[in-house]
Amino acid sequence: MAKARLVGDRTNKVMVQAMERRSTDVRGRVFQISLLVTLLVSLFILAVLIVDVVMDGWGILTGRPGGFLGGTMRSLSDDPKLGVHQALVGTFWIAVFVAVLAFPIGIGAAIWLEEYAPKNRFTRFIELNIRNLAGVPSIVYGLLGLFLFVNHLEGVTGGKSIASAGITLAILVLPIVVITAQEAIRAVPQGLKEGAYGVGATKWTMIRSQVLPYAAPGILTGTLLSMSRGIGEAAPLLLVGAVSGRLGRDSGFFDFGDINADAFMAMPVIIVEWVQNSGRDPGFAEAAAAAIVVLLVFVILMNATAIFLRNHFENKRG
Amino acid sequence: MRLQKLLVLIIGLITTFALVAAACGNDDDDGAAAPSTSEQQSSGSDAQPAPAGTVSGSVTISGSSTVEPISVRVAELFEDVQPDVAVTVDGPGTGDGFKLFCAGETDISDASRQIKDSEAEDCAESGVEWVELRVGIDGIAVMTGESNPVECVTFNDIYGLVGPESTGFGSWSDAGSLGLATSDLPDADLDIYGPGEESGTFDSFIEIVLEDIADERGQDATTRPDYNANADDNVIIQGIQSSDTSFGWVGFAFAANASGVKLLDVDGGDGCVGANANTIASGEYPVSRSLYIYVNKAKAEASPAVSAYVDFYMSDEGLGTAVADVGYVNLTDEAKGATRANWAGR
Repeated sequence: MAKARLVGDRTNKVMVQAMERRSTDVRGRVFQISLLVTLLVSLFILAVLIVDVVMDGWGILTGRPGGFLGGTMRSLSDDPKLGVHQALVGTFWIAVFVAVLAFPIGIGAAIWLEEYAPKNRFTRFIELNIRNLAGVPSIVYGLLGLFLFVNHLEGVTGGKSIASAGITLAILVLPIVVITAQEAIRAVPQGLKEGAYGVGATKWTMIRSQVLPYAAPGILTGTLLSMSRGIGEAAPLLLVGAVSGRLGRDSGFFDFGDINADAFMAMPVIIVEWVQNSGRDPGFAEAAAAAIVVLLVFVILMNATAIFLRNHFENKRG
Repeated sequence: MRLQKLLVLIIGLITTFALVAAACGNDDDDGAAAPSTSEQQSSGSDAQPAPAGTVSGSVTISGSSTVEPISVRVAELFEDVQPDVAVTVDGPGTGDGFKLFCAGETDISDASRQIKDSEAEDCAESGVEWVELRVGIDGIAVMTGESNPVECVTFNDIYGLVGPESTGFGSWSDAGSLGLATSDLPDADLDIYGPGEESGTFDSFIEIVLEDIADERGQDATTRPDYNANADDNVIIQGIQSSDTSFGWVGFAFAANASGVKLLDVDGGDGCVGANANTIASGEYPVSRSLYIYVNKAKAEASPAVSAYVDFYMSDEGLGTAVADVGYVNLTDEAKGATRANWAGR
């Protein structure tokens, strides 16, 4: 009671002051403006990056968009067959692998950790390790992929193949998926769960009918952000079979047989490669910029899908 | 209130941008699907009326990133003749390439140096027999401004001007202060222009000129960091033109056509030699090195695709056109003949 009284007094005092002096809240104003400045700075940097890269790649993107998206790796930048088709197919399949492997495993692990796992030393140790794994440099995952999937599981993955690359990147984003899914599940109101138990639901029914639908938007945002990170990785791919010079075959998006064929290409790798090639043939700088724009559009499309799905689930949640 | 409206406006703009970008992306994708499928169809129909003697199969090449563009260019020209041969080229480096080659994992190994004894032993152990083919020359021109009195530089001079220990040197004569035996260089402003780290010419220059001296002196094999690095050879040439006492280097094929610069003679221990197509092709000019491919004999025997590819490599389109296309110096006719004889007599 005494405390409430005190708060009331203070509020009163502030009110009286405000009415008497009619002074504006200068400090609040400064705070608000400085926040706006931080927003503008980050937006400005983003805008400069995008404008620069779009301007550099404009010639190719407007001149021959179809040829560029349908073309292959070439040795000369003025080759009309130069393009990113092989790399787009590679990145598409890597994204599929990440979605099929990392999402179910990661979300499953998160549900177990949040809903089933006993809170003891062992689970705390596991959680700590998952958090550490999220910070491991990507090249280390590349070495893991080289050792495990390329060398020891060659029979399954086909050695240096898109399958090895996809599994490696799925493992790379797995800790991030687990952590974001855990956060989303933790944010489900306790009342919802208790309500479900109250009407006689089993734990599994409660999770399926209450926890997952409520956490779905958060899980989705986290998983797709982690996928964006995964498909932007170049370093681990170089270890598990991305080639730098020329890829003999030009597979279509749905040539399943080529998933474990030797060697592959991916968007981040082709960007690195073309930036390096610009040393010997400056025209590759333009091609690299155009490839960056293509990768950006790919990521934006993926994120747009995520936003669409999230809104869909949010509406469902009501 | 106003600030809030502004925030709403900014967020709205971003969303609009994202949507527009996404919409454009859709258009791009629609555009992509059509030409890529039609291209596949057309390449399929190309294959049908192909002349007799066509081969199919795959060729796997790895090795030097310096030689990589030549092998890729040869593969592109070869594709017009033999569209059913899939040539894959990777460039992890000469050493890594030989590891794969001697383990029998690749058909051909690109190399910017000759095979080392230890690598040859690895090949012998695993029973990989090879034939060495010299395919082109990587030459680097060392240049200065037209009216610079300096005519010739030694490797020591170059190390003193641009080596790792020369950081901060602003005058040509500073090169003598490292205790190396150098030529008598003038006390004149030193403006350096060269390729950046992303360039193969940067690596080649270090490996040919700087590495040995740096190793002897216990330094990292690299250049000084404080020079005007540019990826575009044109910009490097412009920089060298802009000052009478500039210093710089680019690939020879590019420098040969440049005006307003002076190509310096280089003394690699056997006297001053000027850079021209003859001295580079003969190996007299010291800032150059031969480029090789190593072919696995058994694989060339077993696979018509591999032997057809190397046959094409040995043609004028390979040793001549492809090598020049990607900026390297052609072998002399005599040396081309020797390479072809090596291949024929495998």
